[in-house]
Amino acid sequence: MRNTYLWFIQLVTGVLIAVLAGIHMVLMHLDAILGFFGVDATGITSWESMIQRSNQGIWASLYIALLAVVLYHALNGLRNIILEMTPSARTERIITRTIVAFGIIAFVWSAYVPISLLSA
Amino acid sequence: MRQVQPRQNHLGISGWIWAGNYKLERYLYILHRVTGLGILLFLLLHLTMTTVFRIQGQDIWEATMSILHNPWFKIGEYLVVVALVYHSLNGLRLILQELGFLMGKPTPPIYPYRDSLRKKRPWTMAIIGIILILCLVFFYDFVTGGW
Repeated sequence: MRNTYLWFIQLVTGVLIAVLAGIHMVLMHLDAILGFFGVDATGITSWESMIQRSNQGIWASLYIALLAVVLYHALNGLRNIILEMTPSARTERIITRTIVAFGIIAFVWSAYVPISLLSA
Repeated sequence: MRQVQPRQNHLGISGWIWAGNYKLERYLYILHRVTGLGILLFLLLHLTMTTVFRIQGQDIWEATMSILHNPWFKIGEYLVVVALVYHSLNGLRLILQELGFLMGKPTPPIYPYRDSLRKKRPWTMAIIGIILILCLVFFYDFVTGGW
């Protein structure tokens, strides 16, 4: 039953990532085509532009939300691939705990940076 | 009494590159897995760049960005975009199928049979078409945006 819930969250996070990462990708990479539609996205990776976004709570919240769903989707996907090799129950526990620990550390560290940059 | 052995469909690790007797969908599954692992690798690099390098100030950030504007990194960036487009849209197809969409209505098994694989194949081809179009759009932007 637990794996059913984990799989359902995998589907939900997949849809959320497709929307949030899709917006992120279009803004970061489609500057020529966005320019054609009158949206100026040039210099979006410059320090000034990045700090300007970092100072806004809405962008920090969006980045942290994207971070949470991406980390869950990626690490649960990796766990599923490894567990498909049908390791022993003990190995499965070790793999799950290692991936959960890595996910928590990556989330705390990666969420700390946008929060600390809010007042930069 | 002779026992009938179940058919072995488990392809093991070799099933990551070879689909055996399976059809197109199995290759889409392999590509979904490979792109997923590639995106995970990129995610680790991306998180390192946007945390460790970002927090160290303007000079380190700009030095990192100048490295990323190298043409080889640009090619890698395009491959990441292609992987993301494929993984997202193929994932959407899988979600829709899992929820019972794109499979068609159940029909009685009267010859000529029309199984669910044949019913969903046109949708699969349509998704592949959309993926190719989006990859071309991103390619156009990468070329005209300056490498």
